[in-house]
Order: sequence, then structure tokens, then C-alpha cells
Amino acid sequence: MGKVYQLSDAIAKFVKSGDHIAFGGFTTNRKPYAAAYEILRQGQKDFIVEAGPAGGDWDMLIGAGRVKAYINCYTANSGFTNVARRFRKAIEKGEMLFEDYSQDGSILMFHAASLGLPYVPVRFMLGSGLADEWGISEEERKKIDKLPNKKFIVQDNPFNPGEKIMLLPVPKLDTAIIHVQIASPDGTCRILGDEFHDVDIAVAAKHTIVTCEELVSNEEIRRDPNLNTIPGFVVDAVVHAPCGAHPSQCYDYYDYDRDFLKEYDKASKTDEDFNKFLDEWAYGVKSHEEYLNKLGAVRLINNKVVPGLGFHRDMTKEGK
Amino acid sequence: MADYTNYTNREMQAVTIAKAVKNDQIAIVGTGLPLIGASLAKKVFAPDCTLIVESGLMDCNPVEVPTSVGDCRFMAHCAVQWPNSRYVGFQANEWLHDDDRLIAFIGGAQIDPYGNVNSTQIGDYHHPKTRFTGSGGANGIATFVNTIIMMQHESRRFMKKVDYITSPGWIDGPDGRAKLGLPANRGPQMVVTDRGVFKFDEKTKRMYLAGYYETSSIEEIIANTGFEIDVSRAEKIAPPEPEVIKMIREEIDPGQVFIKVPKE
Repeated sequence: MGKVYQLSDAIAKFVKSGDHIAFGGFTTNRKPYAAAYEILRQGQKDFIVEAGPAGGDWDMLIGAGRVKAYINCYTANSGFTNVARRFRKAIEKGEMLFEDYSQDGSILMFHAASLGLPYVPVRFMLGSGLADEWGISEEERKKIDKLPNKKFIVQDNPFNPGEKIMLLPVPKLDTAIIHVQIASPDGTCRILGDEFHDVDIAVAAKHTIVTCEELVSNEEIRRDPNLNTIPGFVVDAVVHAPCGAHPSQCYDYYDYDRDFLKEYDKASKTDEDFNKFLDEWAYGVKSHEEYLNKLGAVRLINNKVVPGLGFHRDMTKEGK
Repeated sequence: MADYTNYTNREMQAVTIAKAVKNDQIAIVGTGLPLIGASLAKKVFAPDCTLIVESGLMDCNPVEVPTSVGDCRFMAHCAVQWPNSRYVGFQANEWLHDDDRLIAFIGGAQIDPYGNVNSTQIGDYHHPKTRFTGSGGANGIATFVNTIIMMQHESRRFMKKVDYITSPGWIDGPDGRAKLGLPANRGPQMVVTDRGVFKFDEKTKRMYLAGYYETSSIEEIIANTGFEIDVSRAEKIAPPEPEVIKMIREEIDPGQVFIKVPKE
């Protein structure tokens, strides 16, 4: 069985309600939005989410009521929305189980998961609210078998008695979804620019779905293997989804869609406008292709990065 | 002719940050004011300093103002694109090696006299009045790196006890950090607000007023600080040079992404 799927087939096969799940990318960069919209359309819910540095991707799924427990370190479309608004509302209204780690914590928990380690000993989070407060109590954790019973354990460093260290649990991910620039049908991936935590979650998760800007031949991607970071056998599904990170950035390909992120900022302020936004951009289109058609070719082309700059700038206005 | 003497408190804050960065330092910057300040440092006051961001991008030289620490505007113009986990390790190793090269800028919603900062929530953790993003990289930074803290100066933000410590400062005094297992030789060095600059007493590790802008006053600062503050060492800080203000407005943030230019 080949690994190349239509987006809807990949999400239907590998994303189940109740999954312990993580997305790649960083706030407004290389977020797997096409996959997030497809999850919204298909209806999976009750996710146990290891959010990492999250943005509108998880904010939409929180707003649509799909998250059972949210493990947070930072959630915002930085520069457009200072604190993700559906995330904020869900916590302020007590509508969602949530836990806080520091970003260093979340990142090392992903990395340790990729290394197959049982837990991570760290020196941060000590002496802070992150160590004083448990978002999800031990009692509540015992009811959720995907979560460890403890947020952390503080103990002496066995190699240096007297030194306090913090032990963080390592998530057992069911599903990872990442968006990459280039992949081939056997699942080999090439990420351009910073990989963030994407390689870690791809290795750690039982199932990994990759959406990509370009689907090239298995021979082509092997011409320069030093640029490849994920071998095909850790990938379950490869989906060709050009502009699949829209409205976030995709290094060397396109910039964030400022107008779209501003529109989301406004729409996410109220339940009514947020639902209208989802009706328009998630539920109102049948597929990623329809979403792209709705955005329009000119809008997408006008957001491409300028070679040499690495971001979008209207070069027709330069030098005037 | 444009007027560059009509500087704002926010511009003054950026200039103050810029002057705090030294040559040969590696500055961990976020977006917003710290980035403007650090960019200004690199152009004017400390041209040999290096900028890094917590997403893992090392030696950044953005040509346009980024909106996020993971922005392609950082990513396309840097020396190395490390995954986040390497950045986390580097930050800890700088402390383990006893290197004193890093300086970081963090901000928050609330701060107490010992420089403990809250950027998680206002009110009860479980039922907050206002919820914020959470730690991001700030907790790790405050653990291992000397910090300069950026604050809006209002009495509801400068309080005796913060609602949650996201980024530990000196905790409750000179042995506060060691007691809790935090690196004792790291901590907040300075608080830069839109009214003035605070430092921490060497013996007590409590905040004192070190300087105030000429657009502010000691009285105004006392009125806007929610705890008792030693002002005996406060000096008036000279206004910024017009050339520096010109550089902020025309070269560093011409799109006024983070700093608005006052209307003439």
C-alpha cells in the first residue's frame, strides 16, 4: 500500500477522536492548517493536545470544542493576536482542561519522546508557578489514560545529591501532523529553514501525517540526502497540499497572510463571528483545493517570498 | 524638516534597552520593543553584539521587523537555524560553563519588588480574570540567563505579590533562588519601564529606582508603583539624541509596527 493519500483519506484513516496529538510549526510559521481545517470538517474531537508553540491552528480547534485536554506552553498568532482568543476564553470560562509547561519543557518533552526516553530531568520550572500550580489535578489525570498521573516530580539529582531537579513526563503521541516543503511518495521529507520540533514529533508519534508543498520523485529527493531529515518509514501518509500552511508562513515559499490573520483576530473575538469564520473557511469548503480557490490565485501568488529576502515584499514598488 | 526631538516614552524605553546591551554580549530577543532596542544597540551602541531568538535562530540580522520569534524575517537572515531543543541546551550550557555572555529581555503583566514576573494569568490560575499566552521561552530564560525586564509602569502591574510567577526573579531576597534550586548567580539586572529604570540592590535584591526619564518624575513613579520603593539613588536620565530617534523611525521600524511616531 502506497503512502500518498488525499488529505481527507489521510485524516480519516490516521486521526481518531481521543488521540494524543501534536502539530509541527511555530505560532505563525509552517503550521499544518490544511490538516487542521480537514479535522474540523470531519468532526474528530476529544483530543489530548501537546500544543508546543501554538497559534491559530489549535485556537480554531479549541474554539470548535474539539480539545479535551490542552498542554500549553504558548498560544498566540504573535504580532496579530497577543493571546489566542478562543484559547483564552476556554480557560477563562473554565470550558477546557489545561496544563502549563514552559516552552523549554514542552520542547524537551518532544525531544525525549523522539529519543525513546522515559522522562526528562531539567533544571527549569523550579521555583515558579509552573511548579506550584497543576492545571490538571492528579485525580483528574487518573481518569485520562493518555496523560501521566503527575505533571512532574521534583527529586534530588542521583548523581549530585542535594541538587533539586525537575522530572518531566514524556508524551506517548498517537498522531503527529507536520507540513513540509518537499516530500516524496515513499514518505521521505525535506524541511527547508528551521525544523522546529517537527522531526521530533514525527519520530515519536505512532502515526505521522505529512502535508507538503511539493511531491517530488523518490529519486529526486535522494539527489541531496543531506537536506532530508525524515526517512519515509516514520511517515504513514504523504499528502500533496500546496499552500497547506496558509495563513502561516512556509520558508522559501510564502509569507504569512497578514490580512487573513487580521481577519481571524477580529473573528475570534466573539462566538458568533468565530462560528461564521469557521462556516466560511472550514465547513463551507469541501476540500483544501476549494479553500485555495476561495482565496484566489492572485492573493496566493502575491504572498510568495522574494528570493534573497526570504519574506514577501511588493518588489514592483522598489526603486521608485 | 521632520522633528526628532519630540520623542515618546516608548522610544525612550527602546533607547534605554539599547544602551543596556554591551559589545560581545549575545542578546536573546523577543519581538516588539526588545527587538527594536536590540537592533538599535547593534546599529549604534554595541555593534559587536549578537542576536538570537528562542525558536533556535542564531545570530539574526533581520532586514524587516519580524512579528514572531519564529518569523521567516529572522530565519532568512541568520547564521544557523537550530531546532528549538538545541537552543534550550545552549542556554543551559552557557550557565554550566560559567560563561557570562547571554543577556535576555523578557516582559510580563505583573512584577513584584524582587523582579518575579507574571505572564500567565491575572487572578486565580484555575479561574483567571484574564488569561495570557503562558511562559513561552521566558521561564527557561529567567532560570539560566541574566534578564532585563520590560514593563508598562502602572501600579496595578507593580505589586507586592504577583498572581503567578512565570519567570522567577530573586524570589524573596539574596538566597531566594538557591533555596528553590535555581541558579543563584543569574537573575534580573534591570527593569525598564515607560517612566524610568530600576535596578536591584546588591545586598537585599530588592528593586530600587535607579533613574527616571525627564518626561516623568520621581513623584509620578512612586504614584504608579504598587509597593514601597527606594528612590534615594535615582538620577535623571538624559534624553535620547535626535539621530537615534531618527534611526528608529526611518531605519529600524519605518512601518511603525511596534513604535508609533507622534503626530506633529
